[in-house]
Amino acid sequence: MMGSRFQITKLGAWLITSLTVLIALAWVFPLYWGVISSLKPEDEVVRPYIELWPQTLTFDHYYSALTKSLIGLWYINSLATAVGVTVITIFSSMLCGYAISQLNFPGRRYLHILILACFMVPTQTLIINHFVLMANMHLLNTWLGMILPQLIYPVIIIIYKQFFDGVPKEFREAALMDNASEWRIFYRVYMPMNWGITTALAIVVFIWTWNNFLWPFLAATQNETMTVPVGITQVYNAFGVYYARRLAAAVLAALPVVLLYLFFQRQVTQAITLSAGIKG
Amino acid sequence: MSDIKLSNVSKTFGIVSVIDDLTLTVKSGEFLVLLGPSGSGKTTILRMIAGLETIDKGTLEIGGQRCESLPPGQRQVAMVFQNYALYPHMSVSGNMAFGLENIGLGKAEIAARIAAAAKLLEMTSLLERYPAQLSGGQRQRVAIGRAIVKQPKAFLFDEPLSNLDAALRVRTRVELAQLHQRLQSTVVYVTHDQTEAMTLADRVVVLNSRHVEQIGTPMEIYHRPATRFVASFVGSPAMNFIQVKTKLNGKKIGIVAPSGKWITLPNASLGKGDVELGIRPESISIVDRDADATGQVKIIERLGERTLLHVQLDKGPLIIVQDSGLSKLNINSPVKLKFNVSQISLFGPDGKSSLRSAAS
Ligand SMILES: Nc1ncnc2c1ncn2[C@@H]1O[C@H](COP(=O)(O)OP(=O)(O)O)[C@@H](O)[C@H]1O
Ligand SMILES: [Mg+2]
Repeated sequence: MMGSRFQITKLGAWLITSLTVLIALAWVFPLYWGVISSLKPEDEVVRPYIELWPQTLTFDHYYSALTKSLIGLWYINSLATAVGVTVITIFSSMLCGYAISQLNFPGRRYLHILILACFMVPTQTLIINHFVLMANMHLLNTWLGMILPQLIYPVIIIIYKQFFDGVPKEFREAALMDNASEWRIFYRVYMPMNWGITTALAIVVFIWTWNNFLWPFLAATQNETMTVPVGITQVYNAFGVYYARRLAAAVLAALPVVLLYLFFQRQVTQAITLSAGIKG
Repeated sequence: MSDIKLSNVSKTFGIVSVIDDLTLTVKSGEFLVLLGPSGSGKTTILRMIAGLETIDKGTLEIGGQRCESLPPGQRQVAMVFQNYALYPHMSVSGNMAFGLENIGLGKAEIAARIAAAAKLLEMTSLLERYPAQLSGGQRQRVAIGRAIVKQPKAFLFDEPLSNLDAALRVRTRVELAQLHQRLQSTVVYVTHDQTEAMTLADRVVVLNSRHVEQIGTPMEIYHRPATRFVASFVGSPAMNFIQVKTKLNGKKIGIVAPSGKWITLPNASLGKGDVELGIRPESISIVDRDADATGQVKIIERLGERTLLHVQLDKGPLIIVQDSGLSKLNINSPVKLKFNVSQISLFGPDGKSSLRSAAS
């Protein structure tokens, strides 16, 4: 009796494991295929059958993507944009979340509702306004113009608000008794209490911004001011249909995000779970 | 001078009145305990003194200075929270230093004060640890240390022992008493535990929904409860209450004990009709004759040093009587009981004590 039940459980566990592995393989295969193809000579890529390993291994495409395009410059642009957006978004969202959570001021509830309402406005609908605004301010093709319209992440504010809501009010009261000013309560007590969540949110904002395409595509009209995801579309235009070269550029574009994810897997998962919980 | 004066203080939350016209003085150096059941407004009073809750009406003076509109930090009182509220990301010394840094004290002075407090509380070895690395008792010490270094005019404690286990609670209680003797500082201490109130207080304020029932020394509260509420709230096991009639005998008025015996109480101010006789279990003795009440033992609780007998009176309710630890009585034994007249309390229909000297 016990034995057979145990075996059924074991069988179930085995089935679930194999299913998971299969799904994981299905997910991973296109990525593998992309990376492997970028290492093949162009003629090998277009062969009509599947070859899981290149016959001739070549790094030529990476070399030409790195040398014949402005990818170095694009990296710098992407980095500046992503870091700028991350730092400003995190800092302002933290302050804003703190204010709606902890401070008593008239209109606080409306502000909260207003921020929640922002969820209902897709960024795409604002994109023309942003473009006209940035053009009028002569900020197209600048880092600032790239950064400003991307600072809208209401979900980060809401996550911070909920986090601060969850901090027992005694900490704030103890700090008040300790003669701390509002500013010191924020940066000596509340901010250090949530470094974990801040790291996590910073990483996802960085990844979201790095991967963002639509606004950078519009804001950069010159090769020199493009970000990596926008720039690699130029590789295609410049070279015609060279699959391997395009794939090499794509791998290069994704590399920082992949590395970031590998190093901060736990925090990224945490942040995505948090934001999904709020959006859903 | 570090006395605290609350005058005609009222507080409402929305439409719910929590404190109604409270006037209370905490003398300089006094250990005052606010005692009352949960929800009686003890915490609210403490938080109004601290400045964490606004005072709707009335005035508050701390050390002769009007305080009701000062922010919490400027009232020069320190609070020990029920859950300690130690900043989790700061070390023990960081926790103690925070309040001192905020008032711009010099590094050397801060270090000196922390060292002195740590020595006083015997926690010098804990200074570099973080709250998560401390036991409940140690956290409590740190919370007290954080209050001490501020050298406040008064200490406010909100049920500081309630998160400790029983043994530690008893030990910490004694330590708190010793600490107060050493520092001679003004303390307002909130608890719903009457043992804490009895052992720690110079004076006890017994609160019951929105108002003060009695203010007095622990002994007054215990032996001369001003109201039936105080009598029933303080003491464990609780005081026994027996409905009795008053009777005039010649010119003297007295009460009729359950046995029919007439008891005269010289300092009672009695009218006609029923009163409630209150008597504590230890003020009832078992006698052979001349009983004030008779009954049958129903339950025997042996506590070692004493025995509690639950006695069903022949004419009256079930009451608790204290006997010696080696009580020879058995279940269903008949007993004759005598009340210690000097320890009898009487309560009129309004719940107030009918003994003239109730306050003294
Ligand atoms: N912030 C608040 N808002 C509304 N009601 C409150 C608030 N704080 C306390 N109360 C109410 O005030 C009464 C007294 O509370 P409290 O002072 O905490 O009592 P105690 O400390 O004696 O248990 C309770 O009925 C409680 O529900
Ligand atoms: Mg309370």
